[in-house]
Amino acid sequence: MATITATSPSLAASPSLAVPQYDYDIIKKFAVMSIVWAVVGMGAGVFIAAQLAWPVLNFDIPYLTFGRFRPVHTSAVIFGFGGSALFATSYYVVQRTCQTRLFAPGLATFTFWGWQAVIVLAALSYVLGYSQGREYAEMEWPIDLLILAVWVAYMAVYIGTLMNRKQPHIYVANWFYLSFILATALLHVFNNLAMPVGLFSMKSYSLFAGAQDAMTQWWYGHNAVGFFLTAAFLGMMYYFVPKQAGRPIYSYRLSIVHFWALSFMYMWVGTHHLHWTAIPDWTSTLGATFSIMLLLPSWGGMINGIMTLSGAWDKLRTDPVMRFMIVALSFYGMSTFEGPLMSLKDVNALSHYTDWTVGHVHSGALGWVAMISFGSLYHMIPRLWNTQLYSERLVNVHFWVATIGVLLYITAMWISGISQGLMWRAFDEYGNLQYSFVESVAAMHPFYVMRTIGGAFFLSGMLIMAYNITMTIRQGVRAARAPGAALAVA
Amino acid sequence: MAEQHVKPQGPQTTGHVWDGDLQEYNNPLPQWWLYGFYVTILFALVYWIVYPAWPLGEGFTTGLNSITYVNSEGKEETWHWNTRAKLLKETQAAAAQQKPWFDRIAQASYQQIVQDPELMGFVNSAGRALFNDNCAGCHQIGGAGKIGHYPNLADDNWIYGGSFEKIRETIVNGRQGYMPPFAEALSRDQVEALAHYVLSLSGEPHDARLAAEGDKLFHSHTGACYYCHGSDAKGRQDIGAANLTDRIWVWANVPGARDMPAKVAAVRQVILGGLNRGIMPAWGGRLNEEQIKVLTVYVHQLGGGQ
Repeated sequence: MATITATSPSLAASPSLAVPQYDYDIIKKFAVMSIVWAVVGMGAGVFIAAQLAWPVLNFDIPYLTFGRFRPVHTSAVIFGFGGSALFATSYYVVQRTCQTRLFAPGLATFTFWGWQAVIVLAALSYVLGYSQGREYAEMEWPIDLLILAVWVAYMAVYIGTLMNRKQPHIYVANWFYLSFILATALLHVFNNLAMPVGLFSMKSYSLFAGAQDAMTQWWYGHNAVGFFLTAAFLGMMYYFVPKQAGRPIYSYRLSIVHFWALSFMYMWVGTHHLHWTAIPDWTSTLGATFSIMLLLPSWGGMINGIMTLSGAWDKLRTDPVMRFMIVALSFYGMSTFEGPLMSLKDVNALSHYTDWTVGHVHSGALGWVAMISFGSLYHMIPRLWNTQLYSERLVNVHFWVATIGVLLYITAMWISGISQGLMWRAFDEYGNLQYSFVESVAAMHPFYVMRTIGGAFFLSGMLIMAYNITMTIRQGVRAARAPGAALAVA
Repeated sequence: MAEQHVKPQGPQTTGHVWDGDLQEYNNPLPQWWLYGFYVTILFALVYWIVYPAWPLGEGFTTGLNSITYVNSEGKEETWHWNTRAKLLKETQAAAAQQKPWFDRIAQASYQQIVQDPELMGFVNSAGRALFNDNCAGCHQIGGAGKIGHYPNLADDNWIYGGSFEKIRETIVNGRQGYMPPFAEALSRDQVEALAHYVLSLSGEPHDARLAAEGDKLFHSHTGACYYCHGSDAKGRQDIGAANLTDRIWVWANVPGARDMPAKVAAVRQVILGGLNRGIMPAWGGRLNEEQIKVLTVYVHQLGGGQ
């Protein structure tokens, strides 16, 4: 594998050329930060999971309470880890598939520092008690403006690079990255339209009210899942899976059809988060039906990824990086089957407000988003530093620890979620509710412990990865410093 | 390396190559995928025909499904399927199922209810649900209460009385327990003496000399404790003054205190600061007459109804 990829960027390693073929510095920064935020964000996740099992762990310190720490967890994993991984891989993919350097490298550098500032400021503001109360968009207005500036810069860099391409055709991964960038800009702007209380006040009020506010929030919320956590990571998949497998993508035709179907359908489904509430019934129906129609377009990505391996299945046995990618695609297929199911009104009546939803999110977030990122980072990082992975054995250990973690997590949440749903609707023979809410909370304790253990497994895997990557980078840096380094790589 | 896997008779690629070796086959769409997609579209079409679905000018397509329910004026109404009507219909059906039970409860006296195992079955079910929704937030599930905050309802000690009538009165009107603070009326030493006397009443460890002093103060016009708690310190249920001679503590956490100084401190705190947290909200406006009756019997049989 290394021999193929080493041929094209080997120019970069040659000290005689003033300008290397690709701009890797910015990618390296984002790649490292994605690992850092993964450790921080997953650590916060395990901490709040433990708080739910043992509430005493908030130590009566307001800054550590679940309500403030939960958005720290979600922002650090989604925007810190996921976002940084997307910046890194998209800059890598767009350059290599367009055979050109990044457009406006100064702006690209701004996206790095700006994005890191967003994560740090967001976390600090949550802990201090500032929140818009909009899920996955808790940042108050000054941070929203900074996000907007970063995003416009990102869009300029990405589109500029595409326009400078030395290839006649735009590779499929880039369509997905581009749709993610455009959709996120749109979603971010409309969801965060708000009036600040004062120029120097962190507090603001949404421009929308009541049911419209809820629908705007979930139009954003579900498309954050659809475009940030799905389309973008499919972009990642479309480059790194065929690269790692050394095989062509299974079907160009399928990629076109499922790309457009996915982009079109996702925009409609947000209201399935609001079934049985004060929203108009017809919006709820549209949300449910478009979710059902989204099933096969989502599976198009899974098929294209998994079938790419057809004829090279032995790699699943021999290549732990490949294993990460294929298991990620399997979890993606499972989550995108579960999602439409849960969006049906009658299933939702059982699943909504229960841990089933939490389990569903995490089978997508841990199983799909994190696993495909791990695979891609394991593929990309050695190439960025012109070296080999420090230890393939540790990648394998990471794989198993992470897989056990996800399985423990989602199994715990399935059991607790369905138990909650059934306990809340259980009537006795006199037609009275059989359980009070607090009894259902008490019954969840063992599953909350199990969830914490699952999370701890996943976090341990992440720490193993952080170590492995640190050693890999160190090895690369040392080799580059040694005399005759360029020759050794070639 | 890539080439070695390519089958000789395999599908064609699109002919584009990116980044050295990145290519795409042009396989057709898998049949099962395509037909699966059509099936989901068909599913959506059926769903749209059955339920309200598409906005249409000022209104929307209402769908074929309908719901019949009884409105607030007792008239039957039929509407297109909608969540509000569904909720009304289901709550009405549930109320109708329980109505015979509540009717029997309304006609029976407390004594009759308690002696009728069938009615008590309903009380234990409905009363438990009502108690857990309305009372357990403070008094805890099972009515165990919490020393220092919420009285225990499962024992036979009552601040305001444990008869059916008194329990009903407490639920309907709520209670406002109050004890004035003595921090400014009495000296530090006097409060100390009273605390020892109060502990002596229920056989807690105390200083006998100080307790004797406290006894005098308790029954004097200076302390004036006997006004409310009575000369025998057994309290007065008509004003909610606690019985100080039993070993049950509502406000001062004496059982939770480790040693004598801690027990004294717990009592001292109540005397110094008085009490204004013995407030129970009124449920008269929130629950109907039959629900309150069920709740009264349920609380009465939790442990110590009189």
